[in-house]
Amino acid sequence: MSVSAIRRLILTGLLVAIGIALSFANPTFLSLDNLMTLLQDASLTGIVAIGFTLILITAGIDMSIGAVIAITSMICVNFISYTQLPAYVYIPVALAFGCAIGWVNGFFITHFKLPEFIVTLATRGILAGLALIVAVKDDQGFVKNVFIEDELFLSLGETIGPVYIVTIVFVLLAAATQFFLKRTRAGTNVYATGANPTAARLSGINTDRTLIGVYMFSGFCAALASIFLAARMMTAMPEFGIGSEMDVIASVVIGGTPFTGGIGDIWGTVIGTLFLALVKNGILKLGLSPYIQPIVIGGIIIVVVVVDVWYKAFAEKKAAQAARRKAMQGKEAGA
Amino acid sequence: MATKKWIATALAVCGLACGVAQAQTMKIGYLPSTVGQALTQAWKTGIENTLKGQNVSFQALDAQMKAEIQVTMMDDFINQGYNAIILQPIDAAALTASVKKAEGKGIPVITLNTDTKLPHAACVTMDDEGAGYLVGEQIGKALSGKGNVAIIQSPPGAQAGVEREKGFRAAMAKLFPEIKIVGAQNGQWNKDKAIEIMNSFLQVNKDLDAVFAVNDNMAEGAMIAAESAGRLNKVKIWGFNGQKSTLTLIEQGKITGTAYTNAYNQGATAAKYALDMLSGAKKKGDKTEIVTVPPFAATKDTVAQIKPEERW
Repeated sequence: MSVSAIRRLILTGLLVAIGIALSFANPTFLSLDNLMTLLQDASLTGIVAIGFTLILITAGIDMSIGAVIAITSMICVNFISYTQLPAYVYIPVALAFGCAIGWVNGFFITHFKLPEFIVTLATRGILAGLALIVAVKDDQGFVKNVFIEDELFLSLGETIGPVYIVTIVFVLLAAATQFFLKRTRAGTNVYATGANPTAARLSGINTDRTLIGVYMFSGFCAALASIFLAARMMTAMPEFGIGSEMDVIASVVIGGTPFTGGIGDIWGTVIGTLFLALVKNGILKLGLSPYIQPIVIGGIIIVVVVVDVWYKAFAEKKAAQAARRKAMQGKEAGA
Repeated sequence: MATKKWIATALAVCGLACGVAQAQTMKIGYLPSTVGQALTQAWKTGIENTLKGQNVSFQALDAQMKAEIQVTMMDDFINQGYNAIILQPIDAAALTASVKKAEGKGIPVITLNTDTKLPHAACVTMDDEGAGYLVGEQIGKALSGKGNVAIIQSPPGAQAGVEREKGFRAAMAKLFPEIKIVGAQNGQWNKDKAIEIMNSFLQVNKDLDAVFAVNDNMAEGAMIAAESAGRLNKVKIWGFNGQKSTLTLIEQGKITGTAYTNAYNQGATAAKYALDMLSGAKKKGDKTEIVTVPPFAATKDTVAQIKPEERW
């Protein structure tokens, strides 16, 4: 079994173990309502995390995702407040806007060879400001958070059976993206671009196009999450999503996609997202003081990553030992 | 066989004990916008003092000033079967769905300071707009109806801050048309940010006469900036809420005044209301019952009227 498969098994085991422990600590944990809200929370972060995983595979970073969430929700609420257009018209517009922001990010990164962090940090600032500018205002010019009453739009926050629609979308998007990464030429190009951009370019891969595509996808995912967030909260706020980058990054990293590029996949991210959501949900059930909660979450992230690094070093050492033994045996056989 | 029976009996007794314990203890949840402020701490103390001696378990959560987190925490209280929730909504629109969901499951929600868009049990609130008007009157009188004032605002969309500012502007427009509002900037409820903003106000306006910060933290920030610029005696500074540290600064003459509300009392009122709902003494009406806690203009002359045990 490969290192990453074993790692994933350990994480899944930990996930189940924490779940069982929590259900003993507080019986409401295993209630259907609670599990479904847990999945709903995980899905909102997870959709963004899927896009972010691709970014990390290319060894990039996208700091603008939170601001994309903010501006997309503002676009929707403007359509709702000032036009009579139905949701199936303006939702695609909002999603396209998310892609467009990704294109701008990708264009500056590839065309001007600027660092990803700087470009996306700049767009983050610009978009956060724009979100305030285009926010719906009352007659005295104060930002007014509109209470959304568009039935079709709000239905996105509903459930099918017991499962929230956002969870279904998350699962479908995860499966499709995993398929794309592992089974298509373009998916292979994403890994190649992240592992060694020069080698990828020399072997005929259009790395610029790959990068732009990945940033567009990240913008799309953030915009998609924004729509479900607004539908859930029945409103949109110009500060939506700002600061949520940290949860997204934590989910992806717990899921085993490193910052170094070339490695990672969506199943890891799905598990990482579930893990973080489980911990956050569980902490609320334990009745801990609010001051302790962020410390526990931070501590768990450190532990997971440290164990991860430690295990990886251990596995590599084992593999090296095995290789050496094999070489020795070969030599002996040769002699 | 005997062991099995024994285990089964033990489990049954445990289950029964749990069941009985759950049936007796009511659970009340408190969910403020953040736990890190004097105001939300004072509410908490007021609530806890009221619940003391009652057969009620109490849990506070920290929404970290983010509406998304607060909505998740509301879901958690609902899923855990809390019997009543005391909530300070970060945003009126954003928490409406959560409050509706709770009330739909028969959990009364008592909001603090910010009402939501659909009816629920009660809203125990400071009179933000009225108190903002009160501050406007006080500043206007002190300036004899002439001069330049600036506002240190709350984040856009924060209802409580916006109401305070609206009340203040209404008083200016109606009573003192000759007073000019020369600037208004978002201090994010935050002392550091307010220092920064006050510095720029002082630099741009050489004859700034007064500043209204829509909470006390920001008023204290404005004071620090004015003091280091050596203009504290020329600029009147008003805050809002009336936290202990600000009242002390008013006594020292460094801050001119604040719109004080007894936050202990406000928290206690909300907790009392929750208990009454649970005991059946109060029934849910068609509309949200609004309980207003009156403001009090605390200045150097009047601040002594606030007793030490009423300071938070």
